[in-house]
Amino acid sequence: MFPAFAEVPAYPLVFPLFWGAVVVFGLVMARHLRIFAAARAEGPSPFSQVPRRTAGLVRYALVQTKMFKDRRAGLMHFGIFWGFVLLTIGTANIVTGGLVEAIISVPFDGLLWTAVSVMQNVLAVIVLVAIAYAFFRRLVIKPARLTLSASGLLILAMIGGVVGTELLAQAFQAASYGDIPGAFIANALAVPLRSLGTQATETAFAVLWWAHIAIVAAFLVYLPYSKHLHIATAPFNIYFRKLTPRGELPAMDLEDETATFGLRTLQDLGWKDLLDGFTCTECGRCQAACPANATGKPLNPKAFIMGIREMAVDAEHGIDLIPNSPIVRDAYGLEDTQPAATALAAPLVDGAIPYDAVWDCVTCGACVEACPVLIEHVDKIVGVRRNLVLEDSRFPAELTAAFTNMERAGNPWGQPKSARTDWTKGLPFVVPTVAELAAQGRLDEIEVLYWVGCAAAFDERNRRVARSFATCLDAAGIRFAILGQEESCTGDPARRMGNDYVWQMLAAENVATLDRYKLKSIVTACPHCFNTIGNEYGQLDGHYEVVHHSVYLQRLLAEGRLRTIDADAVGDTAPRTVTFHDSCYMARYNDVVAQPRAVLESVAGLELVEMERSGKNSFCCGAGGGRMWMEETRGTRINAERTRQALETGAGTVATNCPFCMTMMRDGLDSAMADGAGTVSAVDIAELLADSLAPTPSGRQLPVIQ
Amino acid sequence: MRIVVLVKPVPDTTGQERLGPDLRVDRAASPTVVNANDEYALEAALKLREAAGEGSVTLLSMAPDTAPDTLRKALAMGADAGYLVSDPALAGSDALSTARVLAAALGRIDHDLVLAGADTSDGGSGTVAAGIAALTGLPYLSYAAKIEPDGASVRVRRISPTGYDLLEAPLPALVVATQALGEPRYPSLRGIMAARSKSIVTWSLADLGIDGSTVGGTVATTRVLRAEAPPARAATRVIREPAPVAAAQLVEFLVERRLI
Repeated sequence: MFPAFAEVPAYPLVFPLFWGAVVVFGLVMARHLRIFAAARAEGPSPFSQVPRRTAGLVRYALVQTKMFKDRRAGLMHFGIFWGFVLLTIGTANIVTGGLVEAIISVPFDGLLWTAVSVMQNVLAVIVLVAIAYAFFRRLVIKPARLTLSASGLLILAMIGGVVGTELLAQAFQAASYGDIPGAFIANALAVPLRSLGTQATETAFAVLWWAHIAIVAAFLVYLPYSKHLHIATAPFNIYFRKLTPRGELPAMDLEDETATFGLRTLQDLGWKDLLDGFTCTECGRCQAACPANATGKPLNPKAFIMGIREMAVDAEHGIDLIPNSPIVRDAYGLEDTQPAATALAAPLVDGAIPYDAVWDCVTCGACVEACPVLIEHVDKIVGVRRNLVLEDSRFPAELTAAFTNMERAGNPWGQPKSARTDWTKGLPFVVPTVAELAAQGRLDEIEVLYWVGCAAAFDERNRRVARSFATCLDAAGIRFAILGQEESCTGDPARRMGNDYVWQMLAAENVATLDRYKLKSIVTACPHCFNTIGNEYGQLDGHYEVVHHSVYLQRLLAEGRLRTIDADAVGDTAPRTVTFHDSCYMARYNDVVAQPRAVLESVAGLELVEMERSGKNSFCCGAGGGRMWMEETRGTRINAERTRQALETGAGTVATNCPFCMTMMRDGLDSAMADGAGTVSAVDIAELLADSLAPTPSGRQLPVIQ
Repeated sequence: MRIVVLVKPVPDTTGQERLGPDLRVDRAASPTVVNANDEYALEAALKLREAAGEGSVTLLSMAPDTAPDTLRKALAMGADAGYLVSDPALAGSDALSTARVLAAALGRIDHDLVLAGADTSDGGSGTVAAGIAALTGLPYLSYAAKIEPDGASVRVRRISPTGYDLLEAPLPALVVATQALGEPRYPSLRGIMAARSKSIVTWSLADLGIDGSTVGGTVATTRVLRAEAPPARAATRVIREPAPVAAAQLVEFLVERRLI
């Protein structure tokens, strides 16, 4: 009846075995979906931005670009993945009674099926080599990011077993019944096997053939319980990935008194968050990239996502695998089983993530950047913070002062508003405020608003950066103004610390101010101000064109509005080696990597050396996510680790483009110097540029900045 | 236990404090907040209520009629209700007038314990609570670092120059809180929402049966003679040296000033 499998004893048993396993797979997957139903219905629509979502599917699921950030592991995975996918043709043929072979054999008189057999043999060897390397990696190399688990090894053994038994079965088949067209490796292996005698090879063939299909069935049943589930979920997770700017946290309705603010339990998560949990492959790339984890803090982004999955699976325990049909329910008066209520109501804090770890996060996004299946960790951590702050008022004690200061004084340090313009004192040009220009009816003259930010307005070191940047703007002849006392904290630190109430209050105030003066074009030297004004103020109907100073300065240089001193003028002095520390919110969140480097390269006599972790793989300075206002008591200091990385380059200067990075790197360098490191200084790119500006065409010598 | 906490809306000290030409605080110039020391008293009251698992925390304030906005912030921390005495005739009241009015108001609120902050950041006399105790006859327990109510009495650990004094008084009593009682909580959004519907009862002088001519600026027994800015603080010295050198310099610095 099935001529393709005439040699296989009891072949028809394949159907109940395989298709039974498919049913079990379907039931377990359906049970996963029922947990999704218990979560918040919110999530991305499958019908929005279909081309972009599909393109991402090709890029991240099929080509797996993110996997190749670790080249060896990427190649290994690519081999296993594509080998496994294409080998499925053979398995599909077996479980359909030879249907696939029959169809593929139609054109070219069976030549195509022979070609498939050739390919299958080659792929089988590739997969087996990749599996061997994977075992070697897990058992011998043991990268820190991988947790040694029985499940991981079992899966490797299963994949190896599926492919190995298939290839060997073919070899014994060839030995018993003659060469198989195209299966050249199996045919070659068959040559020595023939000496075993027909009886032995036929038995071996039958055992291996059935072992192959048995492992396939077992794999299907085990798959939905294991981390290997990602082969089913990753494509969906990639398709439904966040497409809004990565730096835009979800909007919150604070007027809805019936809502739970932030994420408290499994039920507060959106379905995409649960999908993240079921997609995690436990590869640990997030953990390896995490600066908090690297400095010995309790935060482990991988454990958080795995924790969400574990909680979801716990909740599933209340649900029967086979749901009662409506007919059964009616006939016997049964209710359908529901997710375990206690598991659904269990808090995420100390369930999926330790309380301390919630506050360790610098929101640097290195985990999100590293994840090959596009899991979003940061938004969820901030979601948990939101719940702790807005519902329970539970947060590190230091934050009370920062929150209160932002609320009352409009800046996290509690400085008086009147000091906001102090940095302009002593500059050889006037920095007008918008209010002054408005009073003179000269609002139209403003080319760009310079959003100074609290750090540059109040911190002595960062005031020097503001003076340098203003000097560059003045040298380029830009007509700019500042808001002065009308400027307020953007609210970014509050938002990242989970206090969306204060963010909304401050942001609404700023939107009102900007709109009152009809200001649209803004430049700022603070990546945090930049990110929240540009990516988040839209949630409050504030729409502006915000440019970061590194981009703005690069444009001025490119347009020739700013010129630097020629290399000749610098003379033959040894080049000044500079390493550039990327701000997370510029490089990773907003793709600004090349521009600050272009600014540095315009400075004559400057040699740029890169740290191992730079650009989008940058390592946070430790101040993001409101950590600027928290004590760092757990583990070692993140800024000390980043300073170590910077010093490794041998550079004499660490260039920054963020006021928080400036503070953290300067502190780190000060400590390192106190411990005997040579003199290394932290300098903003605007300072380096201002110091090397060529005299303006009028011949006016630019002032020396103090 | 029914606890009444005295709170006062004061100009925000994180802004610029401004005095008017009459040398009185120009309240219109800066945002108003709950007096910081009163927040410590409120925090202590909330902790007592939480520990007891029952009871009430009521706010009492004498302030201009804009005060409810500020009192809502104290209600957001967890107080149950508020009473506000507000009357145009009270403008310019000194500590004595304030104590008289609050003592009268206290007579209309059931209480077992009255808590007050050590002083206010605007007036700063630190005598109102003592005045109230004198006028009402309540036992007066000041500078509390610890408050332990026990049925019909209360024990207070009073900070003294040499350590602590242990005081005990029958209830009802008036206790003056210090910052040693613990940092005030930051109101949660849930608390802010709940505060919107809490009751604030406003009384005029007539409601309390007080003749307007007997209180307020015209009969004040104290007068502001002069106001001047505090001297600028000397520059901070930061020692950036390896630990052993830094420690030696720090010791030298402290010894020079006879601080150690």
